[in-house]
Amino acid sequence: MVEERTIEKTEEKVVEIPKWRRVFDDYRAMSDEILRPDEPKKEKFLEAMKKSLSKQNWPFLLPYKLTLEACTKCGTCAEACSTYIGSGRKKIYSPVYRSDMLRKIYKKHFTLTGKLFGSLVGAKDPTEEDINALAEAVYRCTVCRRCALACPFGLDNGLITREARKIFADIGIVPDELKENGVENQLKYGSAPKVPYEAFMDILEFIKEDIEEEKGIEVEIPVDKKGAKYLIMNNAGDYLAFTETVQGIVEIMNYLGEDWTLNSPRTGVNDVVNYGLFYSDEDLVRVMKAHVETAKKLDVEYLVVGECGHAYDALAHFAKDLIPPEERPFKVISWMELLDQFIREKRLKLDKEKNPEPVTFHDSCKWGRTGGIYEEPRRILQAACKDFREMYPNREWNYCCGGGSGFAIMTKDDFLKFRMETYGKVKVEQLKQTGAKIVATICSNCKGQFRELINYYKLDMRFSGVSELVANALVYED
Amino acid sequence: MAGELAWFIANILPYITLAVMTLALVYNFVKWLVIPRPVVWALFPAKHNTVDILIGIVKKIFVLPGPRKVDISVWILAMLFHIGLIISLSFHAKYILLPSLGPVEYYLGAAAGIAAAIGTIGFFIRRIDMAKTKVDSTFADYFALILLMATLTIGAYLRIGGIMDHEHMWLWVRGILTLSPVDPPTHPIFLVHITLAQIYMMYLPFKTLIHPIAILFGQKVVLDERHIYPR
Repeated sequence: MVEERTIEKTEEKVVEIPKWRRVFDDYRAMSDEILRPDEPKKEKFLEAMKKSLSKQNWPFLLPYKLTLEACTKCGTCAEACSTYIGSGRKKIYSPVYRSDMLRKIYKKHFTLTGKLFGSLVGAKDPTEEDINALAEAVYRCTVCRRCALACPFGLDNGLITREARKIFADIGIVPDELKENGVENQLKYGSAPKVPYEAFMDILEFIKEDIEEEKGIEVEIPVDKKGAKYLIMNNAGDYLAFTETVQGIVEIMNYLGEDWTLNSPRTGVNDVVNYGLFYSDEDLVRVMKAHVETAKKLDVEYLVVGECGHAYDALAHFAKDLIPPEERPFKVISWMELLDQFIREKRLKLDKEKNPEPVTFHDSCKWGRTGGIYEEPRRILQAACKDFREMYPNREWNYCCGGGSGFAIMTKDDFLKFRMETYGKVKVEQLKQTGAKIVATICSNCKGQFRELINYYKLDMRFSGVSELVANALVYED
Repeated sequence: MAGELAWFIANILPYITLAVMTLALVYNFVKWLVIPRPVVWALFPAKHNTVDILIGIVKKIFVLPGPRKVDISVWILAMLFHIGLIISLSFHAKYILLPSLGPVEYYLGAAAGIAAAIGTIGFFIRRIDMAKTKVDSTFADYFALILLMATLTIGAYLRIGGIMDHEHMWLWVRGILTLSPVDPPTHPIFLVHITLAQIYMMYLPFKTLIHPIAILFGQKVVLDERHIYPR
């Protein structure tokens, strides 16, 4: 299985690091245990694909089949894609090339013209290697959907990526970061990183102490409070790695004296992520339902999605279509909308001078293109920071950072290098052009990617959530 | 034999073309219409009502904001091709009602035909280049473009060369429309032009060339109403 080896020299000895067999490009997103590259899987794949093209796949059948059938291969999507651009315009990373890998199989096995005319119309019977290559290829796209925005026909190569991932998930091929260590852990333990109740409470205690030490103020952190107006659910990453964000939220809610609560794993799920969104409708709904049950159990008026982009897409948008209204007796709102509302109501006294450094804002794909939250964070940052500057392009045309669709937590093999050298390259150029010292973002995956990018490219800047910048600008009356 | 072939191309094939194209377009339209779409995965800024969605679709079709933003070469070629084609077809339609050919029709029609032809030639060259940089094209992709290129180039040549007897052509068109066919014009270049045009029209609703219909559904998918706060 191990075909390539790299040698890394350490002070003591030469260490051989085995690399998995290359099946698509110079990288691997999935381990051999997951991909099982030597195991025949064509028949299972075709069976799963048949299912994906049937009414069983009712939520997405129209845009899925439309994109498979109506693409004229004009190539516009390629120039919209930051993986393609960042890679130096490598053909294999163009969105249309990736979709065409699936389209060839579709034509061969599921269309009359493909069966009759074969390669003349682009139909191809896949080899086992083609299937392996496709399995990896669909994990080179973050489903940022910038290509769909650019497509003159409104076709969606991002959706094709997701549909192909669904097919592979059906035959058991999903990155373990997303499935076993993501969704399954989350549903079993209440959070993907398996943070137990005691540890969670310790984290909150640390946050409380930090605020008291830094600001000299005492704060309350309500946990599992029933009947609260706002239940703020955060990404587990914000509790573990980017605690300043939770700290900011705690400080702001205390400042306002709002009726709110966080929730512990004891109430069900306290990690707002939903990795099912990235690879499976079934898992998407399983996690979504767990979130809904948790909010119902706490009998809250609003479920507030913290700084987590894909969670907002899942809870604010997909849940509306996939879970009947009577089964979700609460409103879903994003923390950005709520914070923006507080600022517009002039309930927060902010001093911009407390954030004097130039700040730019990264529109996360899931908050922006698929979420519609463009202006709220801008209004907030303009209220809290002295020097806010736009990144270009921005809003719906912003480039994905490269951490989307779970990539931020995928680092096997050389995958981190892939993230840095494709998406990352484009994003770093954008960042440099702003001259900002802080890149603010409202997505934990983006924060994870920025952490790596700043380190990899030695950028003279830092990343931040929006909440901590606002908290930092708060003015307390004596 | 040549006369029979000309009769078939000019007086029988148009009805076959119309039938095939209409049925296939209706089939395709209904096919997409009946597929349920319970989940909306819109792209923002999305539209909030049907009127806005329709305006958005029209803008997307005629202004092509996506290609203009990310790939200006596609945008220029598409504009040349589509505007040229629309003007050409408009003059064809106008000619059926008013069989005259003034200087405006002559020069503008010729320019539109040339622009559309240049657009297709550009797309053809681009397609060859894309095999190295973006994606492979199939025989079917090239076939569609070759058909278009040939039809438009020959059409522009017919217009510029002033080859046709317009009185005769109008009688032929009127004969087809009134289901009373008359002897058609038999200039071989004209017959090639209308043969290619009809093959293209029959081919249009199939495969990827369904995009005139797909665009309605596709753009609706990405522009559709989304969930407005408060939910």
